[in-house]
Amino acid sequence: MKLLFQSVRWRLLLWYALILLCLIAGLCLLAFRLTSNDRTFQIDREIRGFQGTFFRALFASRPLPNKNDLPSFDEIRDRLRNPGEVSSFPPELHALFEGGNGGIYLAFWDSDGSPLFISANAPAKLCPPKPNNDGSTQYIEKFNRREHHRTNPTGISSIVGRDISEEKKELRNTGLLLALGGGVLWLAGLGGGWWLAGRALKPIDTIGRTASRIAAGNLDERIQIANTDNELDRLGHVLNDTFERLSAAIERQKRFTADASHELRTPVTIILSETQRALKREREPEQYREILGNCRTAAERMRALVESLLVLARQDLPASRTEPVACDLADIATGVADLLQPLADEHSITVKRELSPAPLKGDPHSLAMVVQNLLSNALVHPPSGSTVVLKTSVNGDGTVLEVSDNGPGIAAEHLPRLFDRFYRGDSARGQINGHTGLGLAIAKTIVENHGGRIEVTSDKGTSFRAVFP
Amino acid sequence: MRLLVIEDDPLLLHSLSEGLREELYAVDTAADGEEGLGKARETDYDCIVLDGMLPGIDGWELLARLRREKKTPVLMLTARDAVPDRIRGLDAGADDYLTKPFDFEELLARLRALIRRSSGLGASLLNIDGVEIDTAARLVRSGGEIVSLTPREYGLVEYLALHRGSVVSRTELYEHLFDESDDTLSNLLDVHVSNVRKKLGAGFISTRRGHGYSIE
Repeated sequence: MKLLFQSVRWRLLLWYALILLCLIAGLCLLAFRLTSNDRTFQIDREIRGFQGTFFRALFASRPLPNKNDLPSFDEIRDRLRNPGEVSSFPPELHALFEGGNGGIYLAFWDSDGSPLFISANAPAKLCPPKPNNDGSTQYIEKFNRREHHRTNPTGISSIVGRDISEEKKELRNTGLLLALGGGVLWLAGLGGGWWLAGRALKPIDTIGRTASRIAAGNLDERIQIANTDNELDRLGHVLNDTFERLSAAIERQKRFTADASHELRTPVTIILSETQRALKREREPEQYREILGNCRTAAERMRALVESLLVLARQDLPASRTEPVACDLADIATGVADLLQPLADEHSITVKRELSPAPLKGDPHSLAMVVQNLLSNALVHPPSGSTVVLKTSVNGDGTVLEVSDNGPGIAAEHLPRLFDRFYRGDSARGQINGHTGLGLAIAKTIVENHGGRIEVTSDKGTSFRAVFP
Repeated sequence: MRLLVIEDDPLLLHSLSEGLREELYAVDTAADGEEGLGKARETDYDCIVLDGMLPGIDGWELLARLRREKKTPVLMLTARDAVPDRIRGLDAGADDYLTKPFDFEELLARLRALIRRSSGLGASLLNIDGVEIDTAARLVRSGGEIVSLTPREYGLVEYLALHRGSVVSRTELYEHLFDESDDTLSNLLDVHVSNVRKKLGAGFISTRRGHGYSIE
């Protein structure tokens, strides 16, 4: 049951039902009231009309001497006491004298309470009306009868009334009919509401089902969007964009994992192949030494790769980054350049240092890694005899680190993907120089984590520029 | 048996070629696709060990191009073990597939199987007139006794035995027994043949003058 009311469709329907019920009930009540009032008004008019007819008949049988005079109250008393022959009254008034049930009855009392005229069809135990303070008339309804009570200023009081049980029954029937009609209308409304709610929620349902299929791993699926640009279509667009980004991120992650395992496979293969070869037969110590050396080279490659992967993983995790401290990029670059001088000598490359103070807030260890990756990259790739310029400065853009060489440059097609993880310009593995294919990716990640950006230009010679605003 | 190993990682290339040479194969090497394709076109190798990821022409491309001309058995080595990659390799014409890291013994067994299959033989044991050649153990037995043969002599016997009944020319023999780094004179072949005849009987290898050698 709880589950039922958590459903939006059911909740919508519930509210709808409540509002519709109030509306229909209000309308039915209004209609009932109007009908009832109308009936009462008709009855009252009929009663008054009947009284008029009676009086006209009373005076018609024995007309007054002067037609234009209003009869005096004594005359009226007299007439009421002796209404005359029944036959002189119109047929519709005969019941007043002959008795029987139904029809309109009349009763008149004198001021002392003695009856002047009580019609034969009047109900038993009819009492004179209670005198009214202001002498006005009032309609009273009791015992299925509606009566017009009136007390004259002279003291003559009258009751004109009739049985209204028939009307009441009719009114009850009308009420019942209204309730029934209202109920049917309500149910029909509910049905319509259910259908409408279902129709309105159907796209959401579709979106939900598609989304759960995507969540289950079907990453290529997308939500179908009709081109109506309504709220749900906009939601669909938002979700599709999210899925697009998510799927791209997962794809990148998958490729990264595949690439990482691929990079690890080759050194593992070398170690396996070399050790199996070594163990197959007795060998000279020199051969064992060579094989062990090969294994060590492979293992060192694996270590470099694993370390790079760890650095990347740490850089990807915001929590493991250290608090930024004030440091100078020039000092860091000096340290790294000193460290890499032997590598430069090995490749016969001159490193020109143009280091002006470049203060910066960041993690000196990570920044040193950026300088090291860019510099060792520049030392390994160009032909020997080249010159590499290592430069730090501060300009309008911010703090700048620049590593440029005058080597042959990099083909334009490789430039956009140069910072991708495991991307190598020549699509070869070539881990030969301890290059894991992650150096530039690591540099990029670190620079971006410092709020900076890194770019490469290559024409005659290659230039890497990291700018920290 | 002469093999071509195409692998761009110098360490792995060295390890594989050395290992295979120790298994009495004549091994040529190539470090990229271009060089590999050139060698594969030039020489009829008994089998080619091909790495998938190569600079320049990659392994699949190389295979597709080679298959337009030759049916040399190819064993692909690759670090990718996803099913689509394997299908791609086999569809491009690879005869077998091995995922890195692999067991060296398995590589050897698969190479033997490929070479055997390409010469139309089912089992690794060949029996020729009481001389038993075990291609898996690389041994020759005569009357139950192991006959001591040098690697070259064994290679000669195995190659002729795998092509039993047909005449193998001296050039062909030379091509399949010596790798590219060998500059041995071709008359050395006659020395090996005569040594084998001494060990397994004079009639074991017959000479077709002007054509070559054969094992009947």
